[in-house]
Amino acid sequence: MSAEVRSGACSEYEAIIEDYLSGQLPGAELKKLEGHLPRCPGCSAALERASLATRWLRLAEPSPEPGPAFARITMARIRQEVAASEQSKGFWQPFVALAWRFAATVTVVLALMVSFELAQHHRASPTTTAVAAERVNDMHYMFTADTEQVPANRDQVLLMVAENDHGNR
Amino acid sequence: MSDVPKGVSAQAAAIPAPLIRRSRAEDDRNLVREAQEGSESAFEELIRRHQQRVFGLVGGILRRHEDVEDVAQQVFLKAFVSLKRFDQRSAFSTWLYKISVNECWDYLRKKKVRPLVYESDLSEEQVSRLDGIVSQDRPPAGPSERAEARELVERMLEKLPEQDRQLLLLKEVEGFSVEELAAILELNVNTVKVRLFRARGRIMEHYRKRVSGHDSMEFPGGGGKEGHV
Repeated sequence: MSAEVRSGACSEYEAIIEDYLSGQLPGAELKKLEGHLPRCPGCSAALERASLATRWLRLAEPSPEPGPAFARITMARIRQEVAASEQSKGFWQPFVALAWRFAATVTVVLALMVSFELAQHHRASPTTTAVAAERVNDMHYMFTADTEQVPANRDQVLLMVAENDHGNR
Repeated sequence: MSDVPKGVSAQAAAIPAPLIRRSRAEDDRNLVREAQEGSESAFEELIRRHQQRVFGLVGGILRRHEDVEDVAQQVFLKAFVSLKRFDQRSAFSTWLYKISVNECWDYLRKKKVRPLVYESDLSEEQVSRLDGIVSQDRPPAGPSERAEARELVERMLEKLPEQDRQLLLLKEVEGFSVEELAAILELNVNTVKVRLFRARGRIMEHYRKRVSGHDSMEFPGGGGKEGHV
């Protein structure tokens, strides 16, 4: 006998016994089961238990039958619910449309603001090479601007001469 | 029992079951098409054709008879609302029964209740009387005996895991076939058979424990001592 499972029957016979209990076991399998049962106490006991359980279950109360007007009443309820849902949809429809429009506008404005901000940020922060080049220019101006400055009038010329004189002494 | 639904006439029952099923499925398809095009009378006819099975399915899961009608109505309402999206790739009945199962679970979740819970216990005398009914395989003698028998069965079923209990009730009490149950619960046919078989064993195990608590290890109706399962 093969490995037994919790039902007490051989695992490969469980579905077969279930079919047997339902009276749906084909001839070949019926013969196979009939040959197996006398040799297998586990399957015989499980079959006995299962058929008793089936007899017990016949005592259970079936569900109530639908009343003769069930279909008509249900259809009336469906009509009512569908109409109510349409009505509530109809009442809120303008508000919903307005809300959608507002949401769409806000989204577009936000998108524009974000892209503008990004563009500004991009412009305000040039690349490292550009910064370096700018710094070099600035330094050059600092060291060269005063010396190469052209005097604008006579007083400035005299002042420069006096400064040079003073420096040479 | 499973091939011919309750309420089908004797003449109709003489027609081979597969033919009846095929013709019913074809009629359903046509009615669904008409209902999808807006025919309310076609949908009402679909309700009429399936109300009994939906009641059985809902009742088999909830076991609260007072709620069955309400939940069944809800099932048909949901079906009506989603009918336009139903592409007829599966049978209408399978689609409808799946809606029924989901609706039952929604209902139980919302109500936060177990399907059925018994508080009190049957007396030893009642149990042995019921034992006699089953061992002799005779119907209960009167309404009170029938009521007692039903109560005991419900209590035994209550001890089973949810899915086992539903499978047994839907198969044995409500008349669903193994194939239908497999389609509704999205299980393999063989899995359904094995689960049903094991659930039958389990229900008797609970019964035996109960009886052995009362008196001896005598197995109900088995006519002898039962070995360890």
